[in-house]
Amino acid sequence: MTSDNLHLETRLIHGGYAPDPGTGATTVPIFQTAAFAYESAEAIEAVFAGREAGYVYTRIGNPTLDRFERRLAILEGGLAAVACASGMAAISATVLALAGQGDEIISGNSIFGGTYSLFHRTLRRGGIETRFVETTDLDAYRRAITDRTRLIFIETIGNPKLDVPDVAALGALAREHGIVLVVDNTVTTPVLFQPKLRGADLIIHSTSKYLNGHGNAIGGIIVDCGTADWSHPRYPLLKPYYDRARQFAFLAALRSQIHRDLGGCLSPFNAFLTLIGVESLAVRMERQCDNARFVAEALAKDPRVEQVRYPGLADHPDHAVARAQFGERCGALLTLRLGTKARCFHFINGLQRAQNLANLGDTKTLVIHPASTICRESSAEERRAMGVTDDLVRLSIGLEHRDDILEDFTTALQRLEERTARQ
Amino acid sequence: MKITVNGEAVTLEAGVSVAALLALRQVKMPEMVSVELNGTILDRGAFPGTVLKENDAVEFLYFMGGGAR
Repeated sequence: MTSDNLHLETRLIHGGYAPDPGTGATTVPIFQTAAFAYESAEAIEAVFAGREAGYVYTRIGNPTLDRFERRLAILEGGLAAVACASGMAAISATVLALAGQGDEIISGNSIFGGTYSLFHRTLRRGGIETRFVETTDLDAYRRAITDRTRLIFIETIGNPKLDVPDVAALGALAREHGIVLVVDNTVTTPVLFQPKLRGADLIIHSTSKYLNGHGNAIGGIIVDCGTADWSHPRYPLLKPYYDRARQFAFLAALRSQIHRDLGGCLSPFNAFLTLIGVESLAVRMERQCDNARFVAEALAKDPRVEQVRYPGLADHPDHAVARAQFGERCGALLTLRLGTKARCFHFINGLQRAQNLANLGDTKTLVIHPASTICRESSAEERRAMGVTDDLVRLSIGLEHRDDILEDFTTALQRLEERTARQ
Repeated sequence: MKITVNGEAVTLEAGVSVAALLALRQVKMPEMVSVELNGTILDRGAFPGTVLKENDAVEFLYFMGGGAR
């Protein structure tokens, strides 16, 4: 059986895997080295000349990073992948490989605040304009297309709005216009969703989240699905690479220029930690999603919570799309509206086990108040588009026993009510 | 028959394809290599079907740059 025929659960562990040839070690060696020595000046020259394969400097390539890249490419069914220092590094390198001054990208308007800031402030300063459209409005994407459009960017589930775009419809639209579709699959992961099957050309992850799964290493990955036509007139920046590398043009541009020059490389140790985490991705995602649904259903019935938002609940506006794309398990993120910012703060402060921090996808249940933290730089208008209100709390449900997770929340809600009653 | 590979004279049996040449030369990761035959870049889909002739000049290059992978 080739790798292609094995189920995802098996590929998580065995994709690109081999025991270390020198020693038989079963976990990937951590090549914690900055550079690689050669026996002769001729030998290193041959590698720099492209005549021989070899490693020279970890910013450009490293055997531990190779294993990480190969595993992720196999999991997403891609041609190959490039490891990055973070999800933001992955997105930055992707955009800069495809777009230059005067070019445009189209993006959903409910994307993660960090990505929004990159698009709206940092890249705009360099002359790359982003047209933000209502994430779930297909016609809005269509109307935003111009000759300068270089890519369409979406997240599988918006963070923290939790809206769910129809990826296949966007894939068809993108293909119709020769535009590359970039899908950030961070909050769903290949366990819940395979973007390539729905028309994604490039897939990005912040591996810091569910892939790593244990909140111990920041990282990112760009996977090239191998489906884009890099010879299309929309990609003049890739022309020199297309001539030599054809289907590998984007990857070659990253490796020999963009990713190399930007320097957003992943630490070999972080790659190791994330590879270990990836092995259990399926069981973790399944349990975390089941826990999240249990908590969402319970809190949706709780009069102390004004509103619960979870794609797996029937009243979610994108519930049908979520179920069609993700099946029974619609992610492990949910949001609560508690009425006021003060109530949110008291709620968070009353939690015993859920950790108040800026991350998601850990084994530990996490909580954050987006308006005062990760979205604080955004204008009121931007926050509205992202679905961020002052009374919104985002929950990233962990692997604790579901009764204990719920009990933590209900106890905090009870304390909140008692506090309110006293006032 | 005699051909050159990356400027070096090489003796080969007749009927060897470009793909077979890369394998014979133990080129690691052939999917990361671009091949020029007599000055023209060869489409990678043509590697298996392109049979080499006497005096052909083959240049191959790992196109990822910096030698990595």
